[in-house]
Amino acid sequence: MRLEMASFRVTQISFGETTALRNGVLTVDRAAVTAMVLGDSNLTGVSVELAGSGESTRIIHVIDAIEPRYKPAGSTFPWFISPPDQVGSGVTHRLEGVAVIATGDIPGAADSQGLKEAIIDMSGPGAPYSPFSDMCNVVLQFSFAPGVHIPDATASCRKATMRVAKYLAEATRDLQPDAVVNYELGKVDASLPRVVYIMPTMSEGELHTTFLYGMSVTSTPALVHPNEVLDSALISADYWIACHRSPTHHYQNEPVIQALYRRHGQDINFVGVILGRSLIPSAIEKHRQAAQMAKLAKMLDAQGAVITMSNGGHAYADQMLICQHVEQAGIATVLGVDEYSDTDGSDFPLVTYVPQATAIVSVGNQEEIIQMPAVSRVLGGDRFLAGNDYEIGFQKQPNEAFPVGLRQLYAATCQLGYTTHRGRAY
Amino acid sequence: MATQLRVIHYLNQFFGGIGGEDKADARPTVKTGPVGPGVLLQKCLGESADVVATVICGDSYFNEHTDDALAEVLKLIAAQKPDLVVAGPAFAAGRYGVACGAVCSAVKERLNLPAVTAMFPENPGVDLYRRRTYILPAGNTAMDMGGVMARLAPFALKLGRGEPAGPADVDGYLPTGMRRNEFDAKSGAERMVEMLLDRLQQRPFTSEVQLPQYDQVSPAAALSGLENATIALVTTSGVVPQGNPDRIESWRATKWMKYPIGHLQEMSPAEWTCVHGGYDNGYVRQDPQRAVPLDILRELEQQGKVGRVLPYLYTTVGNVQPVERARRFGREMALALKQDGVHAVLLTAT
Repeated sequence: MRLEMASFRVTQISFGETTALRNGVLTVDRAAVTAMVLGDSNLTGVSVELAGSGESTRIIHVIDAIEPRYKPAGSTFPWFISPPDQVGSGVTHRLEGVAVIATGDIPGAADSQGLKEAIIDMSGPGAPYSPFSDMCNVVLQFSFAPGVHIPDATASCRKATMRVAKYLAEATRDLQPDAVVNYELGKVDASLPRVVYIMPTMSEGELHTTFLYGMSVTSTPALVHPNEVLDSALISADYWIACHRSPTHHYQNEPVIQALYRRHGQDINFVGVILGRSLIPSAIEKHRQAAQMAKLAKMLDAQGAVITMSNGGHAYADQMLICQHVEQAGIATVLGVDEYSDTDGSDFPLVTYVPQATAIVSVGNQEEIIQMPAVSRVLGGDRFLAGNDYEIGFQKQPNEAFPVGLRQLYAATCQLGYTTHRGRAY
Repeated sequence: MATQLRVIHYLNQFFGGIGGEDKADARPTVKTGPVGPGVLLQKCLGESADVVATVICGDSYFNEHTDDALAEVLKLIAAQKPDLVVAGPAFAAGRYGVACGAVCSAVKERLNLPAVTAMFPENPGVDLYRRRTYILPAGNTAMDMGGVMARLAPFALKLGRGEPAGPADVDGYLPTGMRRNEFDAKSGAERMVEMLLDRLQQRPFTSEVQLPQYDQVSPAAALSGLENATIALVTTSGVVPQGNPDRIESWRATKWMKYPIGHLQEMSPAEWTCVHGGYDNGYVRQDPQRAVPLDILRELEQQGKVGRVLPYLYTTVGNVQPVERARRFGREMALALKQDGVHAVLLTAT
């Protein structure tokens, strides 16, 4: 399976008569993008705005961030807006440095179903924590039909955002890419250590989940080719705590997969991705998944495994059990975690652990308080979501200055390790 | 050379040259200049610092009269107007390690001066004082004296100059339990893969999170029967009276509450709700007995299978709770339950 990822770099974005990419400047036909949500009765409209790096702009109510993609001869965003064909091979165009950011306040979702506030600051002290603050963002603020079933509302957002992402990337149809990277698990020196990537992704029911080819991931682990992940087979629908959501954009650029590919044939033999579930409700099912993952890793003859996690709380239990089973199978592990170390960094960082978890990388403490400045423009909504009233800063208006826990900053401590943010022992 | 740092070295009776175990009750004394291992310390510190005096105390005296000993030691130290205090290394000597940790913590907290010590990581002084002072790891015997002094001296000089300590893995001290957020040169994913390569190639590596030793709580002895027992309902599920009158937070709760339920046969959704912010609490709000099964307990009480249901519900929200605060809630609840004459607790978590 060989994927040719053609990158088209975007350094600037503006509205224009037509959607086009010239010399790194993406112009966006606002009317065409707006028209893309028409015809979906769950959505009553969309407001389309642009947000660039360094602007005094705050984006709130973030639902997902998707990188624009276009497959000239294949399914772009399979299942959702294209046939559910297998992806991961052939040519894919990507707009590097662009994210389409879905935002909105779905009626009733914030109090009952746990859609949490999620913020991106494009400049100031909050910006370094956001992977999207140095990107060119197309921000879609959706409005919803009254009484819409909440999972239907998020499904409609998802498809509309994908349609916009695909539409924008289609501007590269006849252009030459700035760079092409070929992803292929080619044969390598057989003496190199065999390494597997074990990826439990969150799923907690109808609303909060992760989709593999349109279906929720399950606790029966799947062997997945890394190219499928990079080619948009894996889609985020996690709307819980903002900091440790894994945006679809991060799956499309999955950082562990990228790092393992860079070493493939040099120091390691990357043998594949074992995909499973975080937030499994029952203990017996958690053990079942961990044992099955260890078995798959053993069948792949792996000597090493990177194990990430997604979401928080008992997702740590899922990850730690996987670590335990995989280590007991004789495979060396490294874990990626984020921390709950209290606001002053004094608390033990993890929810739980097993004694086998001796090699851990931390992407940072989500409880650190950041002072957010006043901004001149707010996108996504005009007041903070209800149901976050424990967050004292949210009594302010979103354009004002307020203190906030890092947990409210979108993808600030995503355990896939996309950014350089880390926690450190002193 | 006018700014040469004045260093006080703390030693026990053995390393201070007073004597062995027979002199362990020696009271604090001061000697001018370096003594015993202090000579090596002075050599490692070099020109920029001067070990002006050595304060020596017997390990038994220190551990058996800690308050007095500490006061006397601090007085002797303060009189020398030092810029910096170094204690030990204590290696695996338990009482000596505890004394070094206590002296360094008190120097920092009461004299507001930098202090550092070194000992074997399993020395009991480490668990007691690592959160309050800097402790460098040392071998378990004085065989490691040369190695540990070579690491101790540059770190002590750094502290003595008033520079902030770097990260534990860089400056080589045992983590104090404090964590900070930083930006690295490499992404988290790159660090994960590099750490795995280190493991696979059997190179040394430092985990970015070190595992602690948690308390092992032994379960209470089983009751012989429940017919005469008072049973309490305790929950971290966030069930509270409608309106949440005491404003228990939906996470990081700062309080637990005790609500009367003696007059109730069941937990009605008209009177009770749920404010837990860490799970979809709709099902509990629909029927609070999914988290607090009062109806079933009442049946058992009426059938005589349990003696009595305590007429109070103990409740809080167990969500993203700092460990220390959870420990405090546990202690407070346990004490109150004992005062309420409870024999057994049905503890429901979510």
